[in-house]
Amino acid sequence: MTDNNERIYLWSRFTLREAVLLCFCATLIVLTRAGLRLHLHLPGHVMFFTMFFFLLARGCVPKVGSATLVGVITSLASVLLGMGSGGAMVPIKFLLPALVVEAVGLVAPAFVTSLLACAAVGALASVVRAGTNSGVEWLLGMDEGIMLHKALISAAMNGLWGGLGALAVPSIIRRLRKNGLIEQAAASA
Amino acid sequence: MGAGWKIALGVGLSALAAGVRTPATLAALALATILYYLAARLTLADLWRDVRLFTFQAALVIPLYCLLHGVEQGLWPGVRISTQIVLFYIPGAVFLRTTRTADAMRGLRRVVPYRLSFLVFVSIRFVPVFFRELEEIMAAQRLRGARLLPRQQLDPRNWRDLFHCLLLPLIVRALKTADEVSRSAEARAFGLQRERTFLDTSKLAGEGEPEAGGEAGHGLQCPASPLPAASSSANLENL
Repeated sequence: MTDNNERIYLWSRFTLREAVLLCFCATLIVLTRAGLRLHLHLPGHVMFFTMFFFLLARGCVPKVGSATLVGVITSLASVLLGMGSGGAMVPIKFLLPALVVEAVGLVAPAFVTSLLACAAVGALASVVRAGTNSGVEWLLGMDEGIMLHKALISAAMNGLWGGLGALAVPSIIRRLRKNGLIEQAAASA
Repeated sequence: MGAGWKIALGVGLSALAAGVRTPATLAALALATILYYLAARLTLADLWRDVRLFTFQAALVIPLYCLLHGVEQGLWPGVRISTQIVLFYIPGAVFLRTTRTADAMRGLRRVVPYRLSFLVFVSIRFVPVFFRELEEIMAAQRLRGARLLPRQQLDPRNWRDLFHCLLLPLIVRALKTADEVSRSAEARAFGLQRERTFLDTSKLAGEGEPEAGGEAGHGLQCPASPLPAASSSANLENL
């Protein structure tokens, strides 16, 4: 995937090709949010594809900062395209799960090939994202008991969908690696 | 109103929404927010579209308050919190609905480094490209028997087809396109300088048609568009 002669383009870490690939992962998150819905009308199911692409980005570009870059680009693109009703919360909603993926990637760089690890990270990151709404509710002075009830329901739904979406990542990564489309080494730069 | 003013006003209104506690201040803020919404040339139908998701939230919060504190003591806090949540998000909806992408991009370019803003704009430009790819792949795979129809996706057993017949080819296409785009941009020395350089056509006046890789602003060779024509018909000159 990467060529030793390639110039570093961003954050002293990513080549232009890697950066563009990560920006396409962001494009696919935006696209799936807008056009490839499962029409299940269930809360939290937006995390299904979001976590899939976050983890896929980490698998395709196994470097520190890859998920964060996807989160930054997705949040900015979403704001520019007028997607979501979160207003100022949109960047936080994308950045928090990305940072969770990043943190796990630091501890276990090769976690994207493990089914269990992917499901756990997908669920955890989605739960963290659900927490942003609770943050707003806390700011508005909502009763703590009610906030907790809502947060539990929201976290459970988000976590479930995020975990399910993440389950598909290891097999996709394996197939891409097997066909030489992405690097074998899971280096943590 | 400029995007910056909308953000400032939106932040102010959202902060006020977090602070109000009495019925009078809440009513005044609700009125001010609705007036702001309507002043942005949005209709009540738009308002309903923006707040209808929050009605489900209100339908959960108000009964929970009544259940925990009794109807007399729980009704007002439930209504207040539900209204505050709506008022907190409405200014953001106004910004998203009324700011043209081009204006937002112009504003973004001022605050975000050009390398990052380039990626954001490429991401947006390629949404229609990948949407077309998605449609083509979906049509081809459905002809081969893949279960990709929305109603078929209601059954989780068909999600395997979704990932392996639709998303995997799309990812392969993304990998190839990333390769083409980066090669094309690097061949034009894109990203060589700390600042973005542009072709200065005024310097070429009287010298005939500008050639690719000709004299550019700051004496650098830089093309108008770093993307290959084959990848997208979109012209990235304005990025």
